[in-house]
Amino acid sequence: MLKRLILVRGAEIALFVVLGALPLAVDSPYVLGLLTLLAIYGVVLIGLDVTVGYLGQVNLAQVAMMGLGAYLAGIAATRYGVGIPLAALLSGLLCTAVGALLALPALRLEGPQFALATLSFTALCATALNELEWLTNGAQGLSITRPPLLGHALDARDFFWLCTAILALVWLAMRNLLSSQWGRAFEALRDSPIATDAMGVGTYRHKVAGFAFGSGLGGVAGALYAFNFGYLQPQTFVYELTVILLLGVVLGGRKSLWGAVVGAVLVALLPNLLSNHVLFRAFSGIAFALALVAGARALLRRQADAFRALAPIAATLTLVVGSFLASNTEDWRKAIFALLLFSVVVGLPQGLMGFASAALARLFRVAPPELPPPALLDAVLPARAPDGSVLLQLDALSCHFGGVRAVDGVDLTVKAGAIHGLIGPNGSGKSTLVNVVSGLYAPTSGELRLRGAPLPRGKPVAAAKAGIARTFQNLQLFGGMTALENVMVALRGAWRLPLPLVLLGLGRIEELRGRAGALALLELVGLRGEARTRATDLTYGSQRFLEIARALARRPELLILDEPAAGLAKPDVHRLLEIIRRVKERGITTVLIEHHMDVVSELCETVTVLDGGKVIAEGTPAQIKRDAKVITAYLGAAEPDAAGAGQEIDRC
Amino acid sequence: MLTVTDLHAGYGLSEVLVGTSLEVKPGTIVALIGANGAGKTTAMRAISGTLSPTRGEVRLGGSRVDGLGAARIARLGLAHAPEGRKVFGPLSTEDNLLLGAFRWLPHFFGFHRDAKQALARVYDLFPRLAERRTQLAGTLSGGEQQMLAIGRALMARPKIMLLDEPSMGLAPVIVQEVFRTIRRLKAEGMTMLLVEQFASAALGVADHVYVMERGRVAVSGTPDDLRRDPRVLAAYLG
Amino acid sequence: MPLSVVVQITVSGALMGLVYALIAYGFQLTYATSKSLNFGQGELVMVSAFVSLTLLGTGLPYALVVPLGILFGAGLGMLVERVAVRLALQQKSEGWILLTIIVGLFLLSFAENVFGRDDRPFPTPIPSDPIHIFGVDVTWVDISVAVGVLTIMALVEVFKRRTLLGKAFEAVSADRDAAELMGISATRTVTLSYALSGAVAAVAGILVSPITTVGPTMAAALVLKAFSVAVVAGLESGFGVVLVGLILGALEGLASLYIGSGWRETPGLILLILALAVRPTGLFGKAIIRKV
Repeated sequence: MLKRLILVRGAEIALFVVLGALPLAVDSPYVLGLLTLLAIYGVVLIGLDVTVGYLGQVNLAQVAMMGLGAYLAGIAATRYGVGIPLAALLSGLLCTAVGALLALPALRLEGPQFALATLSFTALCATALNELEWLTNGAQGLSITRPPLLGHALDARDFFWLCTAILALVWLAMRNLLSSQWGRAFEALRDSPIATDAMGVGTYRHKVAGFAFGSGLGGVAGALYAFNFGYLQPQTFVYELTVILLLGVVLGGRKSLWGAVVGAVLVALLPNLLSNHVLFRAFSGIAFALALVAGARALLRRQADAFRALAPIAATLTLVVGSFLASNTEDWRKAIFALLLFSVVVGLPQGLMGFASAALARLFRVAPPELPPPALLDAVLPARAPDGSVLLQLDALSCHFGGVRAVDGVDLTVKAGAIHGLIGPNGSGKSTLVNVVSGLYAPTSGELRLRGAPLPRGKPVAAAKAGIARTFQNLQLFGGMTALENVMVALRGAWRLPLPLVLLGLGRIEELRGRAGALALLELVGLRGEARTRATDLTYGSQRFLEIARALARRPELLILDEPAAGLAKPDVHRLLEIIRRVKERGITTVLIEHHMDVVSELCETVTVLDGGKVIAEGTPAQIKRDAKVITAYLGAAEPDAAGAGQEIDRC
Repeated sequence: MLTVTDLHAGYGLSEVLVGTSLEVKPGTIVALIGANGAGKTTAMRAISGTLSPTRGEVRLGGSRVDGLGAARIARLGLAHAPEGRKVFGPLSTEDNLLLGAFRWLPHFFGFHRDAKQALARVYDLFPRLAERRTQLAGTLSGGEQQMLAIGRALMARPKIMLLDEPSMGLAPVIVQEVFRTIRRLKAEGMTMLLVEQFASAALGVADHVYVMERGRVAVSGTPDDLRRDPRVLAAYLG
Repeated sequence: MPLSVVVQITVSGALMGLVYALIAYGFQLTYATSKSLNFGQGELVMVSAFVSLTLLGTGLPYALVVPLGILFGAGLGMLVERVAVRLALQQKSEGWILLTIIVGLFLLSFAENVFGRDDRPFPTPIPSDPIHIFGVDVTWVDISVAVGVLTIMALVEVFKRRTLLGKAFEAVSADRDAAELMGISATRTVTLSYALSGAVAAVAGILVSPITTVGPTMAAALVLKAFSVAVVAGLESGFGVVLVGLILGALEGLASLYIGSGWRETPGLILLILALAVRPTGLFGKAIIRKV
C-alpha cells in the first residue's frame, strides 16, 4: 500500500515540483517560453485524450475549441477588462457548452461520421473566426493584453507558474474523474454499449459528457494560449494543428495523463525541431533506429506481421533521407508530421507511456489495494416477500421488422416471485420479446406494464431504471474490466455524488461502499475469489455467472436470463441452478429463456411456449411437454436432446 | 480425401488444438463430437483456413493446404458451412446461393447460365428455398438459413463439405429435417466432415466418429464402437 | 439581385454539387465492402489531377491522358488501401480513420512541393464558350461534368446490382469470414473497391479541374463538401448523393451570393451537423437494427 503510494503519487509530485522549479534553475526566456507552452498543451492533450483515448474516437475539433477559448478570453480581457481567472473560466464553460451541443448530433453515430462532424465543426469555426471581423479582427489578427492577476501584473515566470498550477489542478481532477464511476462508464461503453445501456448507465449521455468536458479543457487551454502570446490569428487553429495534437496524444500514449504530458513535450518542441537542421537529422536518426530495433524484435518474436514491423521502418527511413535531401524542412512540415504519426500509429500504437508502463510494471510489482469485506447481501439485494401479484403484463404485444412479424400478438402474465420459463424454436420470437421488454426494441403495438405502470418503450436505459435487468444470449461483458468492476458499474443507486464533487476527489467513501456491495453479489454467484480477474480471462462458465451478478446489481424488479445455460458443462449447469434458486429465495421474479429442457423443468413453475411469434401453449413444464402443438413445433417426436440442441457458443 | 496430422491452432496466446489428427475417406461422413471447449469448431476453422494453424498438416486430396487462407482453400474444393450459418443477410436467397458458386463463375458477368444446373439441384433438394428465392436471407427462419448454408456450400461443387454444428439453435423438429438432408447427400456420394454437439444424431449418420477432448482426439471408431464404449455413453450419449 | 443572376448561380452551384456527389460516391464504394472510407480522398483527386496535368504538359493527347489519369487514380487508391486501411481492417478497428488522414496529409505536402503551391489552369479540348439554355449560360465543360458524373455512377450501379462481383462486394461487407469461405478473397475485394474509388476520384479531378483550376487547396475545399453530401445522403444511399449534391451545390452558390464568399462552405457544414442530429444514417440510409 505504501509502496504504491510512493511510486505513483510520488512520481506525480516529483513531476510538478521539477516543472515548477525549472525556471528557478535555468534563467532563459526561451526555455521558459517552451515550458509555458508545455503546460498549456498538457491541458489541451489531457482534454483531447478523453475523446481519443477513453472514448476511442478520432476527435478533430479540439483545435476549434482552443481557438474559441482563446478568442473569447482575449476579447473579454482586452475589450471588457475581464481578469484571467474569469476569462479562463468563461472559455472553459463556453467550450463545454459548445462541446455538448456538438456532441449531441455528432455522437449519435461513431467512427467516421463523428470524425467528419468534428472536422466540419473545425472548418466552420475557422471560417467564423476569419469572417466575423467586427469581433475577431479576422485575418489581421487580434492583439491581447494580459490582465493582472489579483492586482499583481504577471511576468513570464509568474504566468508559467499559473499555467503549471492549472495543469496540476486539471491532472488531479482527471485522476479523480477516471477512478470514479465515470472512468468505469467510459471503459464499459467501449466494451459493450448495449450492456452499458441495459445496466442503466446511459452510453450516449456519458459520451456527450466526456466530449464536452474534454472540449472545456481545450477552451481553458485556449485562454492561456491567448494570454501567453498576446496575439491571435485564425490561421493558427487549423487542420495542421489538429494533426499535431493527435500526434501528441498518440505518441505520448492514449488513456494516460503522463502520456498527455509526454506528448505535450513533443508538441512544444516540434517547431524548434523542424527549424534546426542538425537537431532534425539527429531526431530522425533516433526515430529510425528505434523503429529498426522495434521492428526487428517484433519480426523475430513473431509478434507482428511484416507490414506492422516494416512500415514504420520505411516511414522513418524516409524521414532520415528527407532530412538530408530537403533544403527547407519547413516546406515539408506536413509530410514530416504525417510520417511521424504514421510510424507511431502503426509501430507503437500504445504510445511511449504505454510502452513504458508495461516495462515499469515488470520492474516494480505493486499489489493492488486490499479489498474491503463484502457488504451484507440484504444491503445490496434486499429480499422481498413474493405476493403472487402480477408483476409483468404483456397484452397483444407485437413487434414487426419490415415484413417479418417477430412477435405477433403475445399475451403474457408473469407473477411476482415466480420463475417463468419462455421456450420455443429459434425465430419463434423469444429473443425479440425479451428485447422489447428490456427496451432494446420498441414494439409496434400492444401494452407492456410493470406493476401496473407502463414500461418505457424502445429505451433500454429507461427500462433498466424502471427495474428490468437482463443477461445476454451472446455474452456482453465489459471484457477489459475486472469481475468486480463489471458488477460495480451496474450497482443501482451507488453513485450519487455530483460531478464537481467527484472532480474534487470526494468519492472515496462511495467507492469503498460500492466495492463491498459488488463483492457481496460476486459471493452470491461464487465468484468472490475472481474479483480481481479480468472478465475476458474468466472461464466461460464464470463469465455467464458474472453476467448474472451484474444484472442483480440493478436490484431488479424483473430479472431476464437469456439462455444462461448455453454452452455450460454439466457441473456448471448445477451451479447455475443453485444460483437461480438463491435468486428466487430473495423473492426476485425471473423470466428464463432456455433450450435446456431439464433446466426449465427443474426451475420453472410456469412455461410459455412461443412459435412464429405467437403463444402456442402455456402451463407447467409437465403439461407443455405433453402438449401436441409443442411436440410438433419444438420438441419433436424423438427424445429431447439432453446435451441441448440450440446453444449459441462462440468458441469450441 | 482429407487428412489432418498433428494440428495445432489457437487464438492469440491460448492454444486450443494441441495435436489433432483425423482422416476423412471419400464418400463417407466423419463426425467430430465432443463437449464445449473441446476444440471442434477451432479444428474446423483451422482446416478451412479461417484460422491459421501454428503447427501440423492439412492435406486435401493429397496436397497440402494448411496456411493457404480460407479463400484459396475454398477454391481448391473445400466448402465450409460455418457455425451459426452466417448467411449474407442483406442479399437474397438466390444471390446467397450464387455466391456459393463464386469460384466457378466468370467474375465479371456472373450470369445464371453456368450456375443454373447447380441451382436447380439445390432447389430440388430444398424446395422451401426455391419458394423464398427472392427473400432476403436475413429474414429466413433458422432452419431455412441452415438449408441455405448447406445449399450454398453445395453450389461450390466441393470435393468435401464441412458442416459445423448444423443443429445449433434449431428446434428438434427442424434438426430432424436437417439430418434427413444430410443422409440424402450421403446417398448421393458427398464426402462430409460433420461437427455436432447433438451426439446421438451425429452417430446416426456417420461412418466414422472422432471424439475430441481438450484439443485432441480422445476416442476414434465406428458409431457402433462408440455406442458400446461406456465412457462415451456416459459423457455424450446419456 | 436580378433573378437571372440568382438562377445562374444556382445552376452553376448545382453543377459543382454533382462533382461533390461523384466524390461522395467514391466513399460509398469503399464503405460498401469494408465500412471504411478514405479521409484523404480530396488529396487523391488533387494528385490525380496534377498528374494528368503533367501528362498533358508532355504533349500527350487528351484522349490518352484521361484513361492514364484514371489508371493512376486507381493505383493511388490501391496504395491507400495497402498502407492505410488493410492493417486496421485486419485488426477489426477503426484505425483507418487516422491512417487515411495521415496519408492524405502526406500527399498534400508532396503535391505542394513537387507540383507547386499555385493554382494552375487545366487545358481541355472541350470548348468553353457558353451556350444559352433556358436563359442560363452553361458551357460544354459544365455539361461534360454532368454527363461524366452521371455516366460513371450509372456504370458503377449496374456493376453493383447486376454482376456477381458487385454482390460479392456486399457479401464481404455483411460477413467477411463467411465470404472468404465462399472463395471470395475479402482483401482483394476491398482492394478492388479502393481502386474503383480512386479511379472515380481521378475522374472527378479531370472533370472539375477545367472549371476550378488545379492546386493543393482544391483537396480540402472539395472533400469537406463531398463528406457533407455523403453523410447527409447516407453512406449506403447510391443515387441519393446526386440529389443531395445538387441541393448542396445550389445552396453554396446562394450562400456565397447573399452572405459573402467567405461563407461558401457553411451550408454544407451546417447541413452535415444537422443531418447527424436528425437522421444519422442519412436521408436515404437504411435504419440499423441492433442484433443481440
